[in-house]
Amino acid sequence: MKFIERIGEVLIKLFSNLGKFILFISFFFKYLFSPKFYFKNNLQYFLTIFISSIPIVALTGIFSGMVLALQSYTGFSRFSAESAIPNIVVLTLTRELGPVLTGLMISARVGSSIAAEIATMRVTEQIDALKTLNTNYYNYLVTPRVLSLTLALPIFVTLVDFIGVMGGYIVSVHRLGFNDNLYLLNTIDFLSLGDYLSGILKAFVFGFIISIVSCYCGLFSDKGAFGVGSATTNAVVISSILILSSNYFLTELFF
Amino acid sequence: MKIEIKNLKKSFNENLVLKNISLTIEKNKSTIILGQSGCGKSVLIKIIYQLFSFDSGFILYDGKSEVDIDKFSMLFQYGALFDSLKISENIAFTDFINNKTNYERKVLSLMNDVGLDKSIFNRFPSEISGGMKKRVALARALYKNPKLIFLDEPTTGLDPINSDKINELILKVIRKRKITAVTITHDIKSAIKTGDHYYFIDKGIIQDKGDCKKILKTKNKLFKSFITGASIK
Repeated sequence: MKFIERIGEVLIKLFSNLGKFILFISFFFKYLFSPKFYFKNNLQYFLTIFISSIPIVALTGIFSGMVLALQSYTGFSRFSAESAIPNIVVLTLTRELGPVLTGLMISARVGSSIAAEIATMRVTEQIDALKTLNTNYYNYLVTPRVLSLTLALPIFVTLVDFIGVMGGYIVSVHRLGFNDNLYLLNTIDFLSLGDYLSGILKAFVFGFIISIVSCYCGLFSDKGAFGVGSATTNAVVISSILILSSNYFLTELFF
Repeated sequence: MKIEIKNLKKSFNENLVLKNISLTIEKNKSTIILGQSGCGKSVLIKIIYQLFSFDSGFILYDGKSEVDIDKFSMLFQYGALFDSLKISENIAFTDFINNKTNYERKVLSLMNDVGLDKSIFNRFPSEISGGMKKRVALARALYKNPKLIFLDEPTTGLDPINSDKINELILKVIRKRKITAVTITHDIKSAIKTGDHYYFIDKGIIQDKGDCKKILKTKNKLFKSFITGASIK
């Protein structure tokens, strides 16, 4: 009997959290179009996360492209299809690896910091202080973070795509002996706008997922150091799982 | 502003924190709420401020159930200053966030009122001491000229000398500005010094109330043991 009660308890908690999360998203959209839009605050936050994330985005791109070129060579050389390497590198990066790897890296870099910052604000009563200062925390905390990340991730993915292709180019030309002009021509000829845009749409969705989940985990964290730690872990784990699962459905959409 | 609270109840999940609270906060007076940690004092003032909802009972603000909470202000236990903003931006937060820039003179005047040196105007909260943080938080609470101020353990974490200075300051400010004050504290010395009336909460109900100047003459056993720190036999 206790076992069944426990399952019931877990299910009730799960569905109540899901309901709370859906309400949270609906409030985000409600306040997004409210007259209190702190433009300066939004712009400042966008620039902060943009500048601080560039190094990690560049590293993700370059190493992904380089590894992709090497691994593709290992496979394609077995049936003399090495010439397909530029096509595989650019297609895999723009459609798949660019958005997913960037999403996962940004979830670890920015999502965790959003959750920790907001959870700390909650623990130290700064969220209550905002309310007493007539400031809606959706407008002040949630909107800048969600808007900034949703808009920044497509830019990051474009950077990862570009730097990744360059990484593949460096390895292919200097390590595998490809002709440099031919590599770039193959890459540009093969890539269609649809390939690039499918990755960009994924980036928008992943940016929204990371930011909204991280804000939610921070705002509804438990009190104390343990609460801040759990909020950070939950933000990264839930965002990552949602990125990977939604990636499948988005890929089906563009298949 | 006069506030009347009748039969207030509040629970979190199955934990009944406030069982039956009835009290009156008199206009332009300083009301002290005393009680052990976890007895629901902070919950009570957050309910009055409408930051929390309540299960049953009622609250009347000058005889009405609705109130413009813009008339209220709060000094939080640990200041609750925004770490990423400068001291001046913290004090003038409502103007700063709305891109108003002409707050410098008002901030400097408030800093002077609460005994802060103007050299910290552009510093961040992490660069000042605990006592200074309390003063900054008090200046922020006073920035919007409140009619009622809630003070959540204003002397927590301060040494006796700084506690006394903060008490003097609170007393000076609320008398000068004719503000109704509701203070939560464990500190009997602070209660006697800054309060007019007190309420003692234990186990979710008001156990004792009276004049702050007569706190030490209380006949209530629970409150006596709270004052002396001795357990009841």
